[in-house]
Amino acid sequence: MSNIKPIADLSYRNYDGPLKKPGSRWWVIAKNGIRIALKKKALWFWMFGSAWYYLAMLVGLFFFQQVSSANPPIKQAMQAFLERIVWQDQFLHGFSFGQMAMLIISLMLGSGSIADDNRSNAMLIYLSKPCAKREYLFGKWVGIALPVFVIMVIPTIVFYAYGALTFREYGFLKDAWLLPKMLVIIPIAAMLHASIVVGISSMFNQGRNASATYAGLYFLGYFFTSLMGGIWASSRGETTYPVRHLFYGSIDGILIGVCKAIVGTNGSPPFGIQNPGRMSQVPAPNVAAILGIALLISVVFVLIAWRKIRAVEVIG
Amino acid sequence: MAHEKAPGVLSYARLVTVARISNLTVRYGNFTALDDLSCEIPEGCTGLLGPNGAGKTTLLKTILGFVNPTSGEGTVMDKNIRTDGMAIRQLIGLMPEQDCHIPGMTAVGFVSYAGELSGMPPADALRRAHEVLEYCGLGEARYRNVETYSTGMKQRIKLAQALVHGPKLLLLDEPTNGLDPRGREEMLDLVRSVSHGRGVNVIVSSHLLPDIERVCDRVIVVIKGKLRTAGTIKDLKKLAGQPADVELREPNLAFANLLMEKGLTVAPPKGNVYRVQSELPPEDLLRVVQRTAVESGAQVRGFETAVRTLEEVFLEALTA
Repeated sequence: MSNIKPIADLSYRNYDGPLKKPGSRWWVIAKNGIRIALKKKALWFWMFGSAWYYLAMLVGLFFFQQVSSANPPIKQAMQAFLERIVWQDQFLHGFSFGQMAMLIISLMLGSGSIADDNRSNAMLIYLSKPCAKREYLFGKWVGIALPVFVIMVIPTIVFYAYGALTFREYGFLKDAWLLPKMLVIIPIAAMLHASIVVGISSMFNQGRNASATYAGLYFLGYFFTSLMGGIWASSRGETTYPVRHLFYGSIDGILIGVCKAIVGTNGSPPFGIQNPGRMSQVPAPNVAAILGIALLISVVFVLIAWRKIRAVEVIG
Repeated sequence: MAHEKAPGVLSYARLVTVARISNLTVRYGNFTALDDLSCEIPEGCTGLLGPNGAGKTTLLKTILGFVNPTSGEGTVMDKNIRTDGMAIRQLIGLMPEQDCHIPGMTAVGFVSYAGELSGMPPADALRRAHEVLEYCGLGEARYRNVETYSTGMKQRIKLAQALVHGPKLLLLDEPTNGLDPRGREEMLDLVRSVSHGRGVNVIVSSHLLPDIERVCDRVIVVIKGKLRTAGTIKDLKKLAGQPADVELREPNLAFANLLMEKGLTVAPPKGNVYRVQSELPPEDLLRVVQRTAVESGAQVRGFETAVRTLEEVFLEALTA
């Protein structure tokens, strides 16, 4: 410490300003999580990456609409495309094709959320403040779920607004509940991602280990789902039980299942392709069952985190 | 904060009690970390002394509500440790023993975040973070990532995050751990200045006697989970019968013999220092010593009431 005395009085002064009552610390923790996440440049890249299907559709539709007015053959093709396309399925595709990027975003936001705190003994800091374990966990959870929700919901609303304003006469508003349905599906996806990543993060002392574990779990399930989808498609939809149900036996599958069940579609080819494979058209699961599974998985991982979070290691 | 005194509890009559522990037992499985411990912690700076594994940290963690006591009761600033954990934590600042921080944050971000976690509005927390970082000597390093800090700086930032919300009671667990001599001096200066005349009560848990002696007014000695002794350092260091140490210019046998002839007890000298004991009050004893020195031709260089070192007090408690 320098011997030069500063002009300001730097001696200790007590703080007698306001102190909020316990109960709202979760928002402080969530805000901090979001603030740290927003500093990561890669997050912005994956945000756009997660909306690639919507962006591709928007750009394609806008471009062909502009070109078609001066070019009769393109106008005809555009007309045929617009009559063929199932609008609600475009939201299913936008949602499901974005899930891979949502996994990466979830990992960026959440894999270190509790693991890094475990490594640096930060739990002692959190829990020695008037902050309950439930507030800590909820804050961490919201810090992941809220950005994931926002990242998914913005392109959905933008695409919906564009479609509703431009393609009304082509049946875009056929399902008046489409947007509310999507606004139910997206929080479920955010909940599932946030719960799993929080649960896995709590089991480790290093964020990268948690990332590897969740990514491993996700991709194993993804390959399984793809395999089941392949079997179903190669049987021309003849194979029913259990393949069509096992198709939804992964995190990716569950999310696609939730979307299909709530939107009320079995799916159709992406981009309105005419001669597709049938993998994207596995029949929708039972809505109650798939929602129950999503909720159960979320609860299990949150409970894992709940058991792992403690201020001190008590042996006995 | 007037309290009814629990039986067997050491009490400081004229001081406000900050924490009161009654028959507290904490067990981890078969291991008893605190065994029927009762004590009162008055305002000011109190040292919690004990060897490693004595139960000091467990006591702090129980006060904070991290550990559920098996039996017994306790209050901190009139708040029950079993039921009012949140309210207690709002009044307390903890500087843990372990290296701990929140990853990915600058010092000012970390300390203001700690303030917000304690309930401070964001603007107040940020302003206060700057203040306490300056106070803790981290003013110029406040925008550095905490993970790049040295051990001494990490100790300081732990103190800063504990102080940010203006706690009424500060719990410092081994505050000088891992510090070099200079860092240790500076940390002890900080602790002493915050605990004297600033309205902050401090409990310092340590097994380092010089640290405790330097900053604390009182000590509580805990050994194997039991309270062994408690009191002001001044009182604990006092010897029974209030003997005096008389320092002569050079050893003088006649001086000692004359004192003994006058009915005083004189211990074998250590160098040229004679420990003299009598029933007389200190001022009368001084007069007798002066007269005897004149009679024996001894030259008195010093006279002071003899005390034990804190180490002797601790060792006595340890072997009791």
